[in-house]
Amino acid sequence: MKGLVFDIKEFAVHDGSGIRTTVFMKGCPLRCVWCHNPEGLSPKKELYVSQANCTHCGLCKRQCNHEECKDFGRCLHICPQDLVRVAGEEWEAEALSRKLLKYEGLFRSTGGGVTLSGGEPLLQADFCAELLTILRGRIHTAIETSGYASAEDFKRVAELCDFVFMDIKLAEAAAHKKYTGVDNGIILENAAWLKKSGKPHTFRTPLIPNITDTYENLCAISQIVGEDPWEKLPYNELAPVKYKNVGREYAGAEFIKEKKNS
Amino acid sequence: MNKSLYDYYVINKEHRALRFKVDKELSSEYSALGLCSSERMTRRFEYLSSLEVPHIHSDEKIVFMRTVANLPDVYTEKEWKEIRKEHYIHELGYVSNLSPEYEKTISVGLLARRESADEYQKRIIDSIIALSDRYLEEAKRMGRGDIVEVLTQVPRYGARNFREALQFFRILHYSLWLEGDYHNTVGRFDQYMYPYFKNDMDAGVYTRESALELVEDFFLSFNKDSDLYVGVQQGDNGQSMVLGGIDKDGNDCFNLLSELCLEASRNLLVIDPKINLRVSKKTPLSIFEKGTELTRAGLGFPQYSNDDVVIEGLQRLGYDYEDAVNYVVAACWEFIIPGVGNDIANIGAVNFPQLVDAAIRENIGKSSFEALLGDVKRRVTAECDRIRESIANVWFVASPFMDLLREAKKYNNFGLHGCGLASAADALASVEKYVYNEKSVSPERLIAALDANFENDPELLHTLRYEAPKMGVDSERADAMCGILLDSFADALEGKRNCLGGVWRAGTGTAMFYLWHARDIGATADGRRKGEAFGTNFSPSLFAKVKGPVSDIESFTANDLTRTVNGGPLTLELASSVFASEDSISKVAMLIKYFIERGGHQLQLNAINLDTLKAAQADPDSYRQLIVRIWGWSAYFVELDREYQDHVMARQEYSL
Repeated sequence: MKGLVFDIKEFAVHDGSGIRTTVFMKGCPLRCVWCHNPEGLSPKKELYVSQANCTHCGLCKRQCNHEECKDFGRCLHICPQDLVRVAGEEWEAEALSRKLLKYEGLFRSTGGGVTLSGGEPLLQADFCAELLTILRGRIHTAIETSGYASAEDFKRVAELCDFVFMDIKLAEAAAHKKYTGVDNGIILENAAWLKKSGKPHTFRTPLIPNITDTYENLCAISQIVGEDPWEKLPYNELAPVKYKNVGREYAGAEFIKEKKNS
Repeated sequence: MNKSLYDYYVINKEHRALRFKVDKELSSEYSALGLCSSERMTRRFEYLSSLEVPHIHSDEKIVFMRTVANLPDVYTEKEWKEIRKEHYIHELGYVSNLSPEYEKTISVGLLARRESADEYQKRIIDSIIALSDRYLEEAKRMGRGDIVEVLTQVPRYGARNFREALQFFRILHYSLWLEGDYHNTVGRFDQYMYPYFKNDMDAGVYTRESALELVEDFFLSFNKDSDLYVGVQQGDNGQSMVLGGIDKDGNDCFNLLSELCLEASRNLLVIDPKINLRVSKKTPLSIFEKGTELTRAGLGFPQYSNDDVVIEGLQRLGYDYEDAVNYVVAACWEFIIPGVGNDIANIGAVNFPQLVDAAIRENIGKSSFEALLGDVKRRVTAECDRIRESIANVWFVASPFMDLLREAKKYNNFGLHGCGLASAADALASVEKYVYNEKSVSPERLIAALDANFENDPELLHTLRYEAPKMGVDSERADAMCGILLDSFADALEGKRNCLGGVWRAGTGTAMFYLWHARDIGATADGRRKGEAFGTNFSPSLFAKVKGPVSDIESFTANDLTRTVNGGPLTLELASSVFASEDSISKVAMLIKYFIERGGHQLQLNAINLDTLKAAQADPDSYRQLIVRIWGWSAYFVELDREYQDHVMARQEYSL
């Protein structure tokens, strides 16, 4: 089956063991105000125009006859700087696995492999399962998930991976709803299953100033995590940079106040 | 690190105030006397060394620095004109880019060497000893008994310990520069110095720390006079040091001294000596990790070379195994042999995109793609023939002291750079795909666009520049085209002899030709516009959308490189944030090991630093591929808004 991918990054050094490639799956049910991958939010293809160097020459707005340009109102094949692109590429699991396995030898010899990230990869659980079934046993596989998925999807995909990175962003239900747009009940249930599953895993918490990095939140998460591996990731101050490239507003600014003001 | 010494020589450069200029014009005097080349060089050495004023910093252990600021020419302009009429003069006409044999002289001393020296060499040896004695007096005056002891032994007699060996090296290296030879390389320092080092370590003379401090003191000596050394840019001075590698029995020779050299370079953060690391399939990951620790420092060291490829390649060119196994690098990356090499590894350069462009224009629309490739091959051969024939009767100013440090001029081979290989291969792959296979671009349209610098056809520019097959971007066709170019290059030179009786070597370096050659041609079929540079050395074109270091390595190791081992590395630039943890250091090391196992010949790895980012900000077009990796995602640096660029730069500054 087909999956929608918005990026494939080689040599991702922070996404698991050995040398690995990370596949970013497009579409996410969460709307974390601090999200740094806005092109990963929508589950559909969308226009992505890098604004920084655009000279507004107008070439991309000229009429063209390319089939693939029709949905976007811009020509994708003319920008002299290649700033006009589409975020989202459809891949058959089989074809994507062939591309990824081109470096099978390197992955195997370094204990590395492939990490599925996003967006939220479990939003495309069937595709992930199909891809992982092909990769399984040949290279090391991992998933980076918010944990916001049905228990069935979560278990099914987790069991096909060698390693799970799972976020626990906020412990308190109301805060979770406020800052990510969804309830955390299902996330905590999946976390509880993961803890008992025997599947190698690491919990992760992004340290968002005044939102997730509060003493109360970190204490509460630490209760949930217990003795399991837990990484705290620094806030990415470049988070807002890509928003205008996909025509979105960065929602984080109004929530994230300077630490020193608090 | 010895902070006061570092501040004195590197930060404040106070020693430069002691320099003085020699105004005396020597050439007209020598000319009037009708002196031969050796006599002129010997006289100049005697004269300049007699002017030298010994200066010893109170904290230093390794002495000798230049106070004479300039070397007056030994030939008049008129004489040079005459000489150039008769001869091919390489660069400045003085010998350069050689690796002397220090080992023997350091072990037996100059007096022993004097016995078999010619009259010129004897006089130079006497001058060196006289200058050394003046340093000895200065040390006595300053109450520096340690230096007095060292200089009482060397350079007259052979070194008895590590410190004497280091001081002896310094005197020899200093004397080569004072003779007027340039790009004088350091060679396999960790090998020929190791016996002295090991003896002292075994005897407990040094701890690891005190040995490191002495190595650092010694490293600083390369930076005392480097502003006086000739080069295209400051820092282009050929003080290349080679560490590690195999011996003639195939054993890996990386030792504790190699390790201390990597550490000293990392601690000092000075651009000399330039660190090269010889590695092979057998090299353990831990050595790559030590190298990567140095890469993290942001100096662009070490440069790696692959023994498996280079030694085989040199043997194919006719180098004996015991010499090939001892290879070092010249000023940049050209492979040369210490002690017996007389090669001119950078005598010319082939402009590949120009040859390919001419072949495309000649054949497109008229003949098959195979015929076009055949024409490319013919043109490569013709260009190599033209360059070969233009170089005859090569002549150098004599270099008596350098000759003393060479057992023989056993190898007299000439090397040619291969410039713009990626751009040329990409152009061929584009033409094959769009004009011949898909037929989506007509020959007329392509030629018209090239002639108009793509201004008439922005869509074709986009196709060729961003959508076409490119080296470094997972394109088997572009890689295959590069293979054809490399083979043509090697074939064109194989079996040909140069005017010194040596062979010709094909390489993948560019030196500054990636700019110069690019100026000679218009727009090219790889989507390169007129005036845009080629990639440096054996690297992707500047606008190839390289996905990452793995596919980059894959592409540049896809072809057999044993026939093109004149030198010229793939350059990989990684954000310094990639080097943040022990874990990621290890991953970078795995990546380098992969390059070596895949049969890459040479690799330069950079941790992007603040200067690069500033340059990228000022000139985004030249830094399209600069990737700044941020936790969880990556960005092309030049596509970031100014404020975010500034932010990354501020953060880079903290991390350095």
